[in-house]
Amino acid sequence: MPDASSQTVTPKLGDRVKLRHAAGMTGRIVELRGPLGPGGVEIYRVQLRRKPEPEYIEVRADQIEILPASN
Amino acid sequence: MPSNALLRWQNDRLVRLNAIDAQCDVVFALAPPNPELADEDLRGYTMILSAHWQGFCRDLHSECIQIVAAATPPAMQLMIQKQCLAGRQLDGANPSYDTIRKDFERFDFALTPVLDANPANALRITHLDHLNKWRNYAAHHSTRLPPAGGPFTLATVRVWRNSCDELAAELDRIMYNQLQAQCRGSRRNRSNLNA
Repeated sequence: MPDASSQTVTPKLGDRVKLRHAAGMTGRIVELRGPLGPGGVEIYRVQLRRKPEPEYIEVRADQIEILPASN
Repeated sequence: MPSNALLRWQNDRLVRLNAIDAQCDVVFALAPPNPELADEDLRGYTMILSAHWQGFCRDLHSECIQIVAAATPPAMQLMIQKQCLAGRQLDGANPSYDTIRKDFERFDFALTPVLDANPANALRITHLDHLNKWRNYAAHHSTRLPPAGGPFTLATVRVWRNSCDELAAELDRIMYNQLQAQCRGSRRNRSNLNA
């Protein structure tokens, strides 16, 4: 069974994701930032739900796991 | 080695700006002339130039964050990435020199003295200031002309574009050297701690 780090699905705009090394923190991809990581790795801008204002973080694909869509 | 942000500026953003420039050329050469359309095109060109300049600066800043984060242990990377991005002005404010300086100085250096080392940068920063003032004039359809930087002509906007292009290369070079030095220092400190 493939582990999470071997995930090959490309994250998309609007995907819900879990941040690795972040105690289960989740967020939503709000921008595909392009190949701005070391060696041209793709970077994703993730919105984290916080009150009173949301927070943002830009991460590499290997730092996130895509969560199943919730309806 | 150029950043991906600079490559995108050169291979995508400048190409798009050149297409707008060529369109302005056509409208300015219309016979009979259409000054209203020429004015609209020039305002559009100015706003698009400012938007692409902001996009380049934001891309370069993001790329720098990722380089710094990658030099830290995995458990600390999210903290670095979040802190470097918190309240970043380039995500919302106009890309004035002050905005750029504040955001890039998060990487623990003073930008102005480094830029001042090249005497050509003073005029480029002045042009950037003019671009921002005229960008606001264009975006808000203001009737009050900014006190400096005019006349508002195609030639003037081209001068601003060239200054943005030259400043992009300067910022790219400065950040490359800055992060190289910091990463070398960080490696040295780590090996001293481990010794």
